[in-house]
Amino acid sequence: MKALVTGAAGFLGRHLVSALLDRGVEVRALVRPATRLEPLGWPASVEVVRADLRSARDLDQAFDGVDVLVHLAAAVSGGEDAQFAATVVGTERLLEAMARTGCKRVVLASSFSVYDWSAIEGTLDEDSPIEPVPDLYERDGYSIAKSWQERVVRRECEAHGWDLTVLRPGFIWGRDHAELAALGLQISRLHLVIGPLTHVPMTHVENCADLFALAAVDPRARGQTFNVVDGEGERIWSFLGEVLRGKGQRGLRLPVPYGLAHRAVQLAFATVFRRNLKLPQILIPVRFESRLKPLRYTNRRVREVLGWSPPLDLRECLRRTFEPEGPRAAA
Amino acid sequence: MKAVLIGAGQIARQHLTCLEGIAGVEVAGICDLAPSVAECAAERHRVPRWFTDHRTMLAEVRPAVVHVTTPPGSHFRLAMDALEAGAHVILEKPATATLAELEQLGRRAEQSGLALVEDYNYLFNRAPQQMLHRIDTGELGTVVHVEVSLCLDILGPSGFADPNAPHPALGLRGGAIADFLPHLASLAHLFVGRHRAVRTLWTKRSNTVLPSDEFRAVVDAERGTASLSFSSASQPDAFWLRVYGTRMQASANLFETRVTFDGLRPGPKPLRPFINGIQEGRDVARAAVGTLMRKFTGGPGSYEGLFELLTRVYRALQSGAELPVTRTQVLEVNRMVEALKPLEEAPAAQPLRLAGGRDGSRP
Repeated sequence: MKALVTGAAGFLGRHLVSALLDRGVEVRALVRPATRLEPLGWPASVEVVRADLRSARDLDQAFDGVDVLVHLAAAVSGGEDAQFAATVVGTERLLEAMARTGCKRVVLASSFSVYDWSAIEGTLDEDSPIEPVPDLYERDGYSIAKSWQERVVRRECEAHGWDLTVLRPGFIWGRDHAELAALGLQISRLHLVIGPLTHVPMTHVENCADLFALAAVDPRARGQTFNVVDGEGERIWSFLGEVLRGKGQRGLRLPVPYGLAHRAVQLAFATVFRRNLKLPQILIPVRFESRLKPLRYTNRRVREVLGWSPPLDLRECLRRTFEPEGPRAAA
Repeated sequence: MKAVLIGAGQIARQHLTCLEGIAGVEVAGICDLAPSVAECAAERHRVPRWFTDHRTMLAEVRPAVVHVTTPPGSHFRLAMDALEAGAHVILEKPATATLAELEQLGRRAEQSGLALVEDYNYLFNRAPQQMLHRIDTGELGTVVHVEVSLCLDILGPSGFADPNAPHPALGLRGGAIADFLPHLASLAHLFVGRHRAVRTLWTKRSNTVLPSDEFRAVVDAERGTASLSFSSASQPDAFWLRVYGTRMQASANLFETRVTFDGLRPGPKPLRPFINGIQEGRDVARAAVGTLMRKFTGGPGSYEGLFELLTRVYRALQSGAELPVTRTQVLEVNRMVEALKPLEEAPAAQPLRLAGGRDGSRP
């Protein structure tokens, strides 16, 4: 079996390449033209295709002999329109090329950001509503782009009769990526922890990559949508403590009740700020909720359908995230 | 009045937001080569129809006004199609990739009695308008010189200097900086008129894909002189406009709300620097608060001039009055832009190139 992995040099992508190789899958890695390959340490068996999805011609050739497309490529920074072009237009061009080839299977990396966080109460799962229009356009550029990306992929898969698996990860964390947006506001050494007992929907990058690799090879994943979290999620207060310990920092944590902060943001947005969508993310109520709303999370569906559970527990994830590179590599 | 947009990217969304607030304008269609971009813009701004082919849109919607908001290399063909379909055209800057293309569009617009407007949004920001007012009232005296200096970090990896996907502006002579020349030239033209000659200096300081990242020019114009500059390296980002009159000097940062005036004042001459300093301090403090409030309360920000320009354009089209940006003005500004461009691109191995002493084309 051969997989084409887009975004292969990204944070999740580089771990996914290893996870696929571990499962005996041949990998063709699509990376951007200026990507440096040496730090990735890939074996020679990994085929590399250099292309930028926004502008590349002849993307068809990348699908030669490919059985499954694992589509991770998306912009995580830049302006709203730049993110849309890289994430959505890039996807459109990629699938247009795929339609001219024999590949008929897609695994898409979507995101928790597609959900309607204002409407959801209690537990967020795969049946929770996704952000409707026009409210979607009050969200940040990343959420708009990821929602549109999923929309485009579902449409194309339906139009061409392709098999699709959509995986929606929560916050993906790991080495050099432990600072999650859910951890509140940092002002110098002071951390304002909004809703300290709130669970964080999180998945360690190696657990996440393991599930993506499984979804690519397991026929039971076809036609399914799975949320990707390692469990119910750590509480913000305790996880921030672990992050500070792991980084050897002596930050001060100040708890702020979620309800109080949420009310203040709603009031200020409607009055002083006149519903201005150019404010910092945390001052816009729907974006505040999508980062910090106290909900519960579950990976029940993926456990039931694929029998998957995260291979690494929290202790091991913390160790692999914060221990010096040498011992980790030896381990 | 039925309007359509060709191109649905970042600047198109600014146009759409402006148009939502102009009475009597109906945005009837939007077009983009990428279906998702067109559909998303239509959904977001409640535009009834979206297209991926502009000719189909022109034929089916039959608009009165076409906004061309695509990358500059495509402007000529799109604008010509719009003029041939009988529509007025509002072009994003740079109007066309070459002066010859613009002249051809100008002739076509003139033959058909149609408007051809290039977006000189900064001319319609509050600060330049305040300066014009002080010129009209005689407070500023006669303009002797204007300085226009744009400092903007365009070296980041996700914009003009993206090493993975070439930015469309790199197809222009002068590269990314050429994308900003219409701003510099239109402001110079506003205060000192048509150019007679220019001297330019194009240099490269960074190790990026950009052919040049620094630009300086001195312009001799019919009513005075101008110095123009673009710097990728100087920080923070700012857009300085300084107008030197015989009775007053005016200074503004067009990215903010700051505008100050230093004038000849009555009273003892030794006290003038003190009084001017106090006045300037008050103006700067007021502008600082204004800029902060603008960020918190929203609005067009530094695009305020685009809102004003489009409002005036539609008002003129609806009433038959003179346009705020005329075809003659567009041609004269673009002749200055053409004179400012380098003769050819600098090879990467030659980071410094001087194009001094070259006469600009006389209008």
